[in-house]
Amino acid sequence: MKEIDARGLACPAPVLQTKAALQQGHPNRVRVVVDNAASQQNVQRFLESQGFLTALEQDGVDCAVIGSYDAAPSAQPQPEPAPSTAAKKIMVMCAADRIGNGDDVLGLKLMINFLRTLKEMGDELWRLVFVNNGVKLTIEGSEVLEDLKAYEAAGLNILVCGTCLEHFKLLEKKQVGETTNMLDIVTAMQLSDKVINL
Amino acid sequence: MVFPSDENVIVGLERADDAGVYQISDDLALIQTVDFFTPIVDDPYWFGQIAAANALSDVYAMGGKPKTAMNLVAFPATQMDLTILRQIILGGIDKLKEAEVVLIGGHSVEDKEIKYGLSVTGFIHPARVLAKKNLRTGDRLVLTKPLGTGIVTTAIKANMAPAELTDKVTRLMALLNRDAAGIMADFNISACTDVTGFGLLGHLAEMVCGSGMSVRIDSGQVPVIAEALQFASMGLIPAGAHKNREFREEMIAFAKTVPRALQDVLFDPQTSGGLLISVSENQADALVATLKDQGIGDAAQIGEIVRSPNEKIRVV
Repeated sequence: MKEIDARGLACPAPVLQTKAALQQGHPNRVRVVVDNAASQQNVQRFLESQGFLTALEQDGVDCAVIGSYDAAPSAQPQPEPAPSTAAKKIMVMCAADRIGNGDDVLGLKLMINFLRTLKEMGDELWRLVFVNNGVKLTIEGSEVLEDLKAYEAAGLNILVCGTCLEHFKLLEKKQVGETTNMLDIVTAMQLSDKVINL
Repeated sequence: MVFPSDENVIVGLERADDAGVYQISDDLALIQTVDFFTPIVDDPYWFGQIAAANALSDVYAMGGKPKTAMNLVAFPATQMDLTILRQIILGGIDKLKEAEVVLIGGHSVEDKEIKYGLSVTGFIHPARVLAKKNLRTGDRLVLTKPLGTGIVTTAIKANMAPAELTDKVTRLMALLNRDAAGIMADFNISACTDVTGFGLLGHLAEMVCGSGMSVRIDSGQVPVIAEALQFASMGLIPAGAHKNREFREEMIAFAKTVPRALQDVLFDPQTSGGLLISVSENQADALVATLKDQGIGDAAQIGEIVRSPNEKIRVV
């Protein structure tokens, strides 16, 4: 178990230490000792956002937040039982507006076909992310706009890179999805079971 | 503690409000406030602007017009480059110019930590003082700036906020409440305050205490910086937000459908937050429409004052 002593630290330092520890060793169990209620709640909130189950151990003014990550969660009560926990979470990231190199016309055709066929993944399709040239698929005039809108209407979370839209001066032209940042994308990668890059 | 007072004090410490009000004649009262704090953003010029916008806000929230200001400065002059201080003060002066307020003095001390703020003096007609504790049953509540600056500045400290977001929040905090105050003056307003360190629900609780009324907040209508919700769910929440919740917990009931992250944002301490206005029901739509029309695009109706003597805030 990974132990972190975050006593004497003010927010947001305890969360950042916990975050660094998770990134370093990917431990399944962590124990973070804090000495104030705000840090305790923040660390607990952070661990839960990363898929950990948490428990508290009070020792005087100190409090240990214990997080355990279990691939198959036991019968422990979850505050918000999500119906989709059984399904895998697949994230698809499109960094271009076509598939592969060679013939651009063919590449675009393949991409359109790919995005239309993607629904065969069913509920496991969790997030669709567009970066770099990929953002051009989300703007007015895109051949897959209607398909993407249908995905979104059906509840799929579509993320579109804001920096990329700004770079191409397309911020106003985006017609579908939620403008996002790198933190969201990185967090989504971390939470998903499988990331498919195109 | 007994505070010295006289018959000309309209608003003093006994009924702590956004600013103190002292009557000079039948049609003129002096309105005074002071506020200063440690840097909230890294850029000294913008910190100066934010500190000035924040100090001026208390006068606007009382319905007054700020006229003069004095600087309050604490600075480690022996350890830090004086150009930083120059930038802070320049930011303050530029914001005062925008507000048509003159700087007529100030005082500085040597300190380990930078602090900057201003004392602001303004005028108001004694009959037009907008207290915070004057709610009226049936009134609607309007908020003029989105919430979440405390959470986002915590994320900035953690190096987790993208540059565009830092920029957006900085401008939001530096935005004067002058225009919003000018607009509300033409409407039937019963009470007003500005949302700062106690967060929306903390300041609302101050309005409700002693009013003999209760409030219902529609959390889905509250303007919120979207990224603040994400950061809150990751635990990037300033300690002040937890304290605000703890302090007012007994007065506030959340519906089960209000997500925890949104609750955190409702308690998030704001720097130079928006005005929280209690307006008559039949004018609420027009007030919001006028605010939006005049460039205050985030303005929204967020709740209503209900007849219920137990002085509770219900968030649905």
